[in-house]
Order: sequence, then C-alpha cells, then structure tokens
Amino acid sequence: MTSIGTGYDLSNSVFSPDGRNFQVEYAVKAVENGGTSIGIRTKHGVVLACEKIISSKLLKPGANLRISTVDRHAGVVTSGLLPDGRHLISRARDEASSWRQTYKGPIPVHALASRMGGYVQAYTLYSSVRPFGVTAILGGWDSEAELGVDGQVGFGPSVGAGGKLEDEVVKRGGPGLYMIEPSGLYWGYYGAATGKGRQAAKAELEKLDLASPTCSLSLKDAVMEAARIIYVAHEDSKDKEFELEMTWISTLDGPTKGQHQQVPQELLEEAEKAAKKSLEGDDDEEEEEEEGDAMQE
Amino acid sequence: MFRNNYDNDSVTFSPQGRIFQVEYAQEAVKQGSVVVGVVSKKHVVLTAVKRNAEELSSYQKKIVGVDDHLGVALAGLASDARVLSNFMKQQSLSSKMTYGRPIPVERIVNMIGDRAQSNTQHYGKRPYGVGLLVAGVDDLGPHLFEFSPSGLTQEMLACAIGARSQMARTYLERHLEEFADSSRDELIKHALLALKESLAQDKELTVDNTSLAIIGVGEKNGRKKLENFKLYDGQDIAPLLEANVESTLADDADGEAMETDL
Amino acid sequence: MIGPGTGMLGEDGIHIDMNHLKSGEVNLGTSIMAINFKDGVILGADSRTTTGAYIANRVTDKLTQVHDTIWCCRSGSAADTQAVADIVQYHLGMYGIMNNEPPTTQTAAALFQELCYDNKDQLSAGIIIAGYDKRNGGQVYSIPLGGSLHKGPYAIAGSGSTYIYGFCDAHWKEGMTEEEGVQFVKDALREAIKWDGSSGGVIRLVVLTAQGAQRHLYLPDQDYRGPGYK
Repeated sequence: MTSIGTGYDLSNSVFSPDGRNFQVEYAVKAVENGGTSIGIRTKHGVVLACEKIISSKLLKPGANLRISTVDRHAGVVTSGLLPDGRHLISRARDEASSWRQTYKGPIPVHALASRMGGYVQAYTLYSSVRPFGVTAILGGWDSEAELGVDGQVGFGPSVGAGGKLEDEVVKRGGPGLYMIEPSGLYWGYYGAATGKGRQAAKAELEKLDLASPTCSLSLKDAVMEAARIIYVAHEDSKDKEFELEMTWISTLDGPTKGQHQQVPQELLEEAEKAAKKSLEGDDDEEEEEEEGDAMQE
Repeated sequence: MFRNNYDNDSVTFSPQGRIFQVEYAQEAVKQGSVVVGVVSKKHVVLTAVKRNAEELSSYQKKIVGVDDHLGVALAGLASDARVLSNFMKQQSLSSKMTYGRPIPVERIVNMIGDRAQSNTQHYGKRPYGVGLLVAGVDDLGPHLFEFSPSGLTQEMLACAIGARSQMARTYLERHLEEFADSSRDELIKHALLALKESLAQDKELTVDNTSLAIIGVGEKNGRKKLENFKLYDGQDIAPLLEANVESTLADDADGEAMETDL
Repeated sequence: MIGPGTGMLGEDGIHIDMNHLKSGEVNLGTSIMAINFKDGVILGADSRTTTGAYIANRVTDKLTQVHDTIWCCRSGSAADTQAVADIVQYHLGMYGIMNNEPPTTQTAAALFQELCYDNKDQLSAGIIIAGYDKRNGGQVYSIPLGGSLHKGPYAIAGSGSTYIYGFCDAHWKEGMTEEEGVQFVKDALREAIKWDGSSGGVIRLVVLTAQGAQRHLYLPDQDYRGPGYK
C-alpha cells in the first residue's frame, strides 16, 4: 500500500499529496472486518438485519442486541467497532430528540441521516480525534398520516383541512434507508450492505430488483430475503457460529404501525429455517449439476 | 521504543483498521489477577483472587459493591476501576432518586461503556486499563456483563478475565449447561472451582486471597425480593472454601484456620 | 403591586396588570382572525396601531409572512410580535434550505409556540398562525398569551375579538367557498371594528391556497366593499 511509510497516514485530518485521508480509509478497514449488516427498503417498510458472530460460547444467547431504536420510527444497525457504533447511535438519539423538542414532531429519516452524516464527518476534520470505525445503516418510516404538533390542543374543521391535493406528486411519508460511512458520506438505498460479507450480500440484494417501481416484494418477503442474505453472506466465514438479528418498520396499517421493532420470534425462526433450507438447496443443486456433468462426460 | 508508528495514541488507526493503544490497554487487563463471574436463573456470583504486594502487606480489593443490587469485579488498573465504580455509584444513586427504582443493569453498563469509548476516540485521553465483570439484579433477573477497555460491553452467562483466565473459561464452558438451574450453593461452588483452575501450580485459594460476592432474587411471602449484594472476604469466606474446595485445601486450611484463630 | 410588563396575575393573585406596556410602547389593540375554507385558509386583520389613546398607524399590516404559504396575524406588543415573527421567519427559511422541502404549518406553529412559551414572562404576544401546503391543506393555529397551542377550524384574537365570539359562532360554516370565506372574515372584522375602540382602519386579508398567497384590501370609505384584490 502506498500509504505506509509516507507519514501521511499517521494523523487524522491530513491529506496525502494525492488528496486522500488515509486514517479514514483505515477506519473503513475496521468496518470491513466487522459482522455483516444489511437493510432492505420496500414500499411497505424497511427491514434491518445483522450477523452477530459468536466470539465466545459464554455469551448469553439472544442478548447483546446490535440493532438499536433511535426514535419510535427509526432504527440503526452498525458494522465495525461496536463501541463506536454505540457512540453514533447515542448521538442519533440525541438528534432525534432535539428535533422533537424544536419541531414538536418526529424527525424525517432523511434529516436524521443528514445529521448523522454531519456528525461522522466532523470526526475526519481534526487531528485530535479519530474517525468512526463504523458504517451505519439507518432505516425508518416517515408517517403517511397527517401529524399535528406535539402538545397541541384542538382539531381543525370536522370536514377535514381545506385544499388538500390528493395527487401522486405530493409526498406522503414512506420508507427511508440510508448508509453512513466513516467519511461521513451517506447515500439513500433500496438495499444496503456493509461489513465482512457485503460483497455477497450486495450481489443478492441486486437480484431482488428493489429499485424497480414494479418490485412486488412484500415486507414479509423482505424479512425472508434479509435472513437468507445474511446466511449467504456468512458462507465465507462458515467456521464461526453466528446469531441472526432482525428488526422492521412497516406502514401505519402494517404489522409495526410505523414503529421500529424487533421481528417477532416466530417469523424470525421461520425466516432462519427457510434461509438454511435454501442454502442446503444450493448445495444439492451444485451436487446435482456435478453429477449431470459427470454423466455428460 | 514503539513497536510501530501506529501505536502512539488511541486516535490512530493502523492500516488494518486496528487501534493498538486500545489493544495494549486490553493487555493490562491480562496482567491483573483473575476474576470469575457466573449467573444462574436466581443468582449471580463474582469471585476473585487477590494479590498482595509482599508478605506483610494487605491484599487488593477486587470486588466492589456499587449498590444493593449491583457489584463489580476488576482485573487490571485498580485506580481506573475506582473511577468507574465511583461513577457507577453516583449514577445508581441518582437514577434511584429520579426514577424511584434501582437502575437496570444493562443501562449502567452501557454508561461506563460509552465513557470508555470516548477515551478511545479523543487525543490526550487514554483507554481505561481495566476490565470489569458487572453483576447485578433487576426486574428481568440476575445479569452478568463483561466490560473491556475498548468500551465493549457484553452480557455473559459466565466469564473470566485476568491472568491465566483461559483455564477458568475452559472450566466455565465445560459446565455451561449446569449454571442456569444451579442453586445458590452450587453456583458458588462452580465459581470457586473455575477460579481455582486459573491458579498457578504452587497457589491455593485461601481466606486471605479469595473474595466472593453474590446477589440474587430471593423470595418473601411468594413475592420476588432482592437478595442484597453480599461480599465474602477474610474469615467470612472460610466456610465457602471449606465446603467447596476442600479436597486440595483441607490440610492447609485447617492449619491456617487455627493460626488465624489464635 | 403588580409585576412589571407581563400581563400576569399580580401578587394578590386576583388582579391582572392590564396596562403592562411601557409608557409609549406601541400596542396592536387589535382584531385578528384566520379561518379554514374549502381550498385553504384566510387570514384577516384590522389596521389600527395605538400608543395609549393615540393612533400611531391607521394602515398597519398585521398579517406577516413567515414562509411562502405560512403567515401569521399579530396581536399584543408590536415590537414583541415583530421580533418573534422575524425569528420564526429566519428558522423556517433555514429549514427549507437545510431539508430540501418547505416547512409545514405544524413546523411554524411549533417554533412560534416554543418562543412564546419559553419567553412568556418577557412577551406580550397573541399570535394566530395559518398556513397552506399541498399535503396537509390549510391549517389554523392560535397561540394566546401563556404560550399554549390550539388548533381549530378558525381562530379569533386581539381586543376586538371579544365582541365577535357570538357572531362567529352563529355564522361559521365548515367547507365555505372562497367567496363565502372572505365575506365571513370581512363581516366579522367589521363587527369587531365597530365595537372595539382599539380596532379600526382598513381590513386586510390574505388568502392562502394551492395557487399561493393573495392579498385583499377593504377600505372604510368604500364601506369595506373594495378595492378587494388585484
């Protein structure tokens, strides 16, 4: 690597002659070694999932949750240095609550992503701090209902507000999925993946055709796919055991009523079972193909 | 003097994305004498081997009570542990005052975790050089957490940190299935036996060098009631040692017990 | 002895300081209102500004824009309400830039309330907020002296409003046309001006719909029939 030995990689906030901040790039390395995290965005909601590598048999199973609720309608999962993830999540919670204090309503997911991106970016600016060793995936749901102002008294006209336009162009809430990198860079996604198994996960996400307006994936389908993708992404580190953790956020008339929640245990188990089966299926197919090849010879 | 250029401070990532200063701080934990924690459905036990600087000096304090429902055992820099346990005492007290109930264990563990994390991200600070086992009981039952200098906190079924703790962990892994349904006495036995595994060849568990603490969910008139943090130290621990680690200790313990009695 | 400049209950807990303005301070002894109608909202106000008995301005504009289609009616101290509206206008402007979408009427109401509540001891401001956006349609909020926030089909405030509670209650209809709405506001304010000595001058209206903001003006010497809007 050209960075080592030049001296330009020893301090944060220092540009190398070709315009790179190596400390940020090294922080990305910390992420690339972390457990895989993914997010799937559909019309009906968002699913977050992560692979928790079991580093010791002594860990309490089912405890040590990695996907955090930041506000009622938003959740964050991180890959990389876990304590850095907790720091960022704690900041995200502060941003969400300060928004509530100022604007008397829930923070829009895009605004939360922007605040988180801004915070992470600030940690690339000074030699007195190091960048965040995490990539965060933020999933949320902007309410499609008409929200009042927190604490208000009374209602509008009983016939409803005058002059509302019902056309499609007017945005009425919806899903949000964003991924924030150690540089502070963030993009919106239909399907996001980070951590060790991101390449395999991305390949699988792309097959889902999430960006297409005709994509017919239901929220439950997304849960099943998320589980399967985490299992696929885990194939490369098969020697280590892992736990699957999943959360979701649905439309207001969906299963979570616009709130960020743990996927219910039965559904999680169903998804895990299907994921394992599909992997076994893959193996069988390969074997069959091999047999087929042999016969052809 | 330095192993490489990337380990001077905790705000520098190595090209592999590691933070050496944090890893070195984790080495400091391994220098400390061993502590063990085990949890069952009703109890959580901490136990530790104490060291003394010299023959005639007193022994370290390895287990600290934080509140009635909360205690920590430490391995590594004792002064760092005191900073953290004092902080926990304050937080526990102020939380009880605000919310009128004991602070949930995971919450206070996250607080020290967050504090430790900020020490790894800002220049001029250093990571804490201590590992903690945090034991506590709340509405959800007994809990055991491991805290490490990186700021990582994890809930465990059983755990051992400090010098030669691998031996204790091996014992704990082997008996993992038995802990959940263990009685109070059985859990203490497992903790002491795990601790014993980590002792050097020429060492024994004695009334002087062993500490044990227990917190539990008791019962009173059919209702759950907290069994307060209780520390067994010095002579208090003699019966526990006799009952549980007698086999190798019987002779010594008798002799020593008589001496101390005098 | 009653505390200075607050309009709050005095030490005896019974008497209210009605003359809480500093001597010479300009008061919007006022009639203001805002209503919902079929296509949006209409704000209305008289135009009298007084300093004691003296009419400092007879053609005041008490309808203040804080964003494209979010406006407010101001009553109380002219200085206080201008300052609050200026601050909210700044924040709503920033909101639009920072979030790539215009603020909603809710946002404006929240900001007004925060300022009015936090500084209730310093302010004498009674504000009505009315706004229109395509998603939420027209909305009317009222923030009286203490800084509480009330949403309603319509809101009236200012010293003149006391005279038209009955009128509004009797004549209010939901889902009025623009024409009916304008007539309702105009008639109500005429009545307020008629009875309230601190209200007078012209009647100003702002109509907020999907088409944007449109001002109306009605002059007493044309019997409040015109010129209307251009």
